Amino acid sequence: MKERRFRKLIPWAIGIAVLGFIAVGAFFSSNLLRGKTGGPVQVVNAPADIVARGKYLAEAADCAACHTAPGGAPFAGGLAMQSGFGTIYATNITPDPDNGIGRWTADDFWRALHDGVRRDGQQLYPAMPYTSYRGMTRADADAIYAYLMQLRPAKIPNRTTDLRFPFNIRLGMRGWNLLFLTDTLPAVSVGHTPAWERGRYVVDVLGHCGECHTPRGLLGQMELSQPMTGSTLGRFEAPDITPDGLAGRGWTQAALREFLGSGLVEDGSAFSDMHLVVMRSTRHLTANDLSKAATYLMGDRPPPPAALPDAPPPAEATTTAAGRVTYVALCSGCHGLNGEGIPNTVVPMQGNTTLRLVNPRNLVVSMLDGIAAQSFSYLQRMQAMPPLADKLNDAQAAQLANYLRVSFGGQKPDVTPDIVRGLR
Amino acid sequence: MSLPTRPLTLTINGTQHGPIDVPEGMMMIDVLHEMLGLTGSRFGCGQGICHACVVIWDRDERHSETVPTCITGADFFDGKRIRTIEGIAQRDQKGEVTALSPVQQAFLDQFSFQCGYCTPGFVNAATVLIERLGRAPIARQDVEATVAAALESHICRCTGYVRYYAAVRDLILATPGLTRDSV
Amino acid sequence: MDGLRPSRRQVLRASLIGGIAVYLAPLGGRAYAALFGDGGLSRPAWNSRDSTLKYRIDGISKVTGEKVFARDIRARDMPHWPQQQGHALVLRVTKADRPYAGFDLSLLDPDLTPDRVVTAADLARDRLVFPAFYGDDMLLPEGQIPAYLGQAVAILIYKDFVRFRFAKYKLQFNNTIVRYNEPGAPLERDPWGSSRFVRVAGPDPAAEDVFSPVKQGSISPTYRNHQPVWPEPARDGEVGPQGMYFANAIAQELAEPPPDWLVLRRDYATQSGDTAALEPDNANGWYDRDREELHLVVASQSPQEIAENAASMLAASKIGLKRLFLHPCFTVGYGSKDHYNTPYYGLVAAIYGDGVPIRLANDRFEQFQTSLKRHQFDMHYAMAVDRKTGVMQTFQAEIIANGGGRANCSVDLTMAGATQAQSIYYFPKSDIAATAIASRAVDCGAARGFGAVETITATELMVDEIASELGLDPIEFRLRNVMKTGMRTTQGAIPDGISRAEAVLQRAQAHPLWTQRPARKFAYQAAHPGKYYGVGFAACHRRFGIGLEASFAKVELAPDGTISLAHTAAEIGTGTSSAQAVACGRWLGRPADLVELAVTDWPELPVETSAGSLNVDESEQNRLAANPRWTPNLATASSGSNSSYYFTHTTRAAARLVFQHGLWPAALAIWGKSSNSSAPSIDSARWSDGALTAPDMKGLDVRELAAHAHASGFVTGATVHAFNRWRWAEADFEIDGRTERLPLDGLSLRNGEGGYTVLDRRNVFYPSPRSMDAMVSTYTITAALAELTVDAATGQVALLNHHNIVECGNLLVPELVSGQIQGGAATGIGLALSEYLPLYEEGPGDGTWNFNRYVLPRGNDVAVWTQTADVLPPLSEDEPPKSMAEAAGIPITAAIVNAIAHAIEHRFRTLPVTPDKILAVLG
Repeated sequence: MKERRFRKLIPWAIGIAVLGFIAVGAFFSSNLLRGKTGGPVQVVNAPADIVARGKYLAEAADCAACHTAPGGAPFAGGLAMQSGFGTIYATNITPDPDNGIGRWTADDFWRALHDGVRRDGQQLYPAMPYTSYRGMTRADADAIYAYLMQLRPAKIPNRTTDLRFPFNIRLGMRGWNLLFLTDTLPAVSVGHTPAWERGRYVVDVLGHCGECHTPRGLLGQMELSQPMTGSTLGRFEAPDITPDGLAGRGWTQAALREFLGSGLVEDGSAFSDMHLVVMRSTRHLTANDLSKAATYLMGDRPPPPAALPDAPPPAEATTTAAGRVTYVALCSGCHGLNGEGIPNTVVPMQGNTTLRLVNPRNLVVSMLDGIAAQSFSYLQRMQAMPPLADKLNDAQAAQLANYLRVSFGGQKPDVTPDIVRGLR
Repeated sequence: MSLPTRPLTLTINGTQHGPIDVPEGMMMIDVLHEMLGLTGSRFGCGQGICHACVVIWDRDERHSETVPTCITGADFFDGKRIRTIEGIAQRDQKGEVTALSPVQQAFLDQFSFQCGYCTPGFVNAATVLIERLGRAPIARQDVEATVAAALESHICRCTGYVRYYAAVRDLILATPGLTRDSV
Repeated sequence: MDGLRPSRRQVLRASLIGGIAVYLAPLGGRAYAALFGDGGLSRPAWNSRDSTLKYRIDGISKVTGEKVFARDIRARDMPHWPQQQGHALVLRVTKADRPYAGFDLSLLDPDLTPDRVVTAADLARDRLVFPAFYGDDMLLPEGQIPAYLGQAVAILIYKDFVRFRFAKYKLQFNNTIVRYNEPGAPLERDPWGSSRFVRVAGPDPAAEDVFSPVKQGSISPTYRNHQPVWPEPARDGEVGPQGMYFANAIAQELAEPPPDWLVLRRDYATQSGDTAALEPDNANGWYDRDREELHLVVASQSPQEIAENAASMLAASKIGLKRLFLHPCFTVGYGSKDHYNTPYYGLVAAIYGDGVPIRLANDRFEQFQTSLKRHQFDMHYAMAVDRKTGVMQTFQAEIIANGGGRANCSVDLTMAGATQAQSIYYFPKSDIAATAIASRAVDCGAARGFGAVETITATELMVDEIASELGLDPIEFRLRNVMKTGMRTTQGAIPDGISRAEAVLQRAQAHPLWTQRPARKFAYQAAHPGKYYGVGFAACHRRFGIGLEASFAKVELAPDGTISLAHTAAEIGTGTSSAQAVACGRWLGRPADLVELAVTDWPELPVETSAGSLNVDESEQNRLAANPRWTPNLATASSGSNSSYYFTHTTRAAARLVFQHGLWPAALAIWGKSSNSSAPSIDSARWSDGALTAPDMKGLDVRELAAHAHASGFVTGATVHAFNRWRWAEADFEIDGRTERLPLDGLSLRNGEGGYTVLDRRNVFYPSPRSMDAMVSTYTITAALAELTVDAATGQVALLNHHNIVECGNLLVPELVSGQIQGGAATGIGLALSEYLPLYEEGPGDGTWNFNRYVLPRGNDVAVWTQTADVLPPLSEDEPPKSMAEAAGIPITAAIVNAIAHAIEHRFRTLPVTPDKILAVLG
């Protein structure tokens, strides 16, 4: 997570500098003067069903991803997001009056989600994905507010955002918002059904999936002309999740439903940031919302899943022979001599969704870094994959990656030692 | 038999073995157990989880690490040097134990194990740790955390870990050169 | 391949079972050593100053990776076997709701085809059937609905390893191999057993009971629709109807309680689990058709059971066998290798090995699929307490244990759980109904705790909740209700010895973790806003043994002072060999030098038993006992935590006889005090620094004494047999012209260099068979305090510290006791927080379970650096050592769950308490 935010911040920083001048103009239309400090502690006694809905929505919107620091109190903030220009800390959104949002009204909360403006009138940085949350209904924002306001208040002070000049001028974001904040994000697929509409809301607004899966432009904004076509964040690529991208790797709506609901499908498991997203957020979605999210991601008329070639072309078998030797020595003990995996224990390599990505990045990084043991639900827990970085040189790793891509992923053996070296 | 084989040559406990023909895809633990008669590396989970089967891979003079043999193919060890539990104590020419290693002695003195099935894995992990600290001593206050990190992946079902961890901690603290007094 | 040369055979002695000569030569034992050279046990190293053991006897071989487990043995390690080693794997069903319809191996390449496939048809033809204890269908015939998930259908045999290994790669996890017919419904069967224990006390705890299992008996049901149906109540009827009359009265009173009563009704559930013994089940056998011999290396906690059942099984078959050689090995099972069926599959695989030794060895997936499981328990409890006094009135329980596919020990275990469910508290009235049900779950066995973990954990959770309802400190509430010496159990029996439960509670109450509980909670939570802090307590009593304990022991002194011990006990990893060696030291000044365990052949003391002799009534028992060589039971398996108490009994008895009639007369003679009125009293004898002393007498070395005893023809060896049915059998024996009453039912002595002379007993007193109902003898008391935090964001529980209090008499090897406490705690932590197996289709019977999903505690989960223990000093130096291995693992589980309740104010009643469950509560 930290890595991901780090990458995001670089373009913003540039953006902030470029947009500094816009801020000056914008200042005059500023509502800064409307900002509030102090004020009464809010007492919210929402009905239980509203609180429950708020909890559901807060999970769907994955608020905890940033507002709960590892090892920290829930929603008490503190997650540090490093950048070359300084550090941003997620804030305390528990109802503590002095450190959290205890004095915020539902209106204040709505403005933060919808406009990216804090109760004191200061601009939020778009590390807070108000760019996506802007589409949220007022009723949903109120429900999340009602949920948050009944949490255990945490007396944990917010850490001051520590960006260097001129990036620390929050006002700069006002200009950025004028340019990039839109009411509706472009649809990733074609559809008209109510299920598709609801799915769009779940994916684009609540799930704010585009914040990672849509590439970013020069100014740190989501490139809305290419929604969900994939973007590299930290070590991993958030892959292309357009209908064609997904179907090209064999995904169906049913598989997506299963993946978002459990993190596990026949052809692989969620790992890294997406594993956290599933565990904290999407697995809590109702079967209905999961289904609708899948409908939206692939459209009302989903493209057919691309089949995997039966066997790799014979010519490529020789180019991957060396990789096969490494595979047998280091991988087959768990993944199977023929990539079959072990049910409920180790994902298969045959048709593995990561091997079917055109970009070998996620495969190579997984090989080098390994993957820690991951729980999915109480009954599902995949064993750890040991890191191989110190067991493979660049050439061996490239050979192994190519063997896997060709044999099990229907991809080209185009991984070079240089690519591996660049990812170490 | 039409299973393809690959020749394996390696050094185990100072003795060179091979070349022996090993079927492609055979795990190292099977070679140790079925071909070489070295059954001290215990089969526990077969998935690299419990670490009862780890051997010490001596990469070079300054770098050794444990490797689970149940999920590592024999071919990985071709040309490599490893130590198994059978090679940790000193032995005479007939193979009789003449002196235990400090780690083995510490486990014995502290009654660290009951059934002993996981003991080879703990001995090897602790041996690697002690050797590492000999090259790079740590502060005394870091010893417990270091021991815990080194042994964490090993499963024991009898003695609840306390006597293993304490034995390694006490050995490190009592052995000159493994710790520094302050940071 | 020579086979066994006759000279080697002579060192082994056979017992004849069903016409088959059975030879037992445990690996590491003297019989085995005589065959093949030295085994794995070394001489004990002991500190002469204080007679303590420096390290465990089997320690060196274990720490150096020698072959000490059955799993390590291959044909090449058996000098008289063919050297080629074959391997077998078992095909198993993964569905139990439809008929099995054969299997299809066509996906195997021709060169991976098994050399032999064994199915139910082969077994039927050769009349190989499971011993009755294990039930029907050793291999399931086609067309039948499997009784349970993971039931075996075929054994595939390969004469070499490589083809076996690669065929297994292809077959394992492939669910197209085994075929089924159309789905139907799982089998429904009557429960394995059911009993009800009703007690109504007299006017005070010491008075005679109005009704109790000991006084009148326990109640047995009939079954309708596979459910127990209890007798119709009748005040003046037979035991059943009369008991039900009182049970109904208890129920009535709970339904309409007096105004001062608090009646709490709660449901509890504990999980199915795996003992996760790290050595997976295995066997290795060779069938020598020419000589009509079968050789079998097995891992077993109960070698005697295998010897008897395997021989009977083979005798009833058409195989035609003359000799059976069993090599039981050191093993570890925590109950899962006691009366388990793997040895019999190994035996069958060997028979079809075509002269090649065949090894059957589970991998971990197969181990999860087949090893004996921990029973899943459902417990419906009601407890009544007087609100004003905080005194417990009534305990009503309905306990259902899921025994899975085969009966095994389910009934005994369930009843053991039921009869200990009261924990350490006194109830004037109780009604405990317990049923062990049959299901399609994997079969269950004697998992560590033997039913008491489950029932007592539930009780300890309930007691905490009631304390909270009453506004009482949980330990204070316990102290008001603790069983005191002389009080009766829910069986109506008075436990032996002094009850020290109150002392254990008082220690816990005074511990800083408890006294500072509120302050620490406040301070910790203030400093850690994302955490909830809690301290919980629980106590436990644990009966040990099975009520039918029997063992042989032989202690001998060589002329050079070497002490050797032979015993029927088996080493199961707990340190029995070390502990029994040390047990000699009380009388002989130092531990035994040579220890041989799992000995089954006792020519020195020919004792016999008769079929069904454990089930005879009292008059029949008296008739049988007239034969001075008769005993109700020869030897019991090493299980139920019986070694430290029951096995030590015979070791010490034998050592004491050697001392009393060998070393002591020798000492008096050397001191010149024989038949001298100024002779020191035997009670004043002391061992000090390896020398025997008495007031004003010079210390004598054991070598000197031994030489003198041998030269003078004093007693230099004693072989004893003892039997216990919650009480020791006693008999009179005439030794040196004087009659002594000893807690033994068989004795023979060796004088000087001579042979053994069997001393025929007189006036034997066997405990009545009725005393089985009491299910009571001595209890070990343990308690635990657990200090933990709950992470509000993740629901993760982190154990900060735990403190265990144990009361277990004299310690044989303190380091082993402490290791048992620490190990027991780790087991209990796993049960409280992480270990879990679904019972049925998603469960281990599907063959895909391993430690990635069955999460065992690691070093960092057990408060490895902070945990402490407190062992109460023994009441006297003669207090016998008491079993504690299982008791130590019990209270921590409830202590943790009670601590979670203290932390987050929610009482969980279903184990394990996982992060997901906690998060669901925290909201």
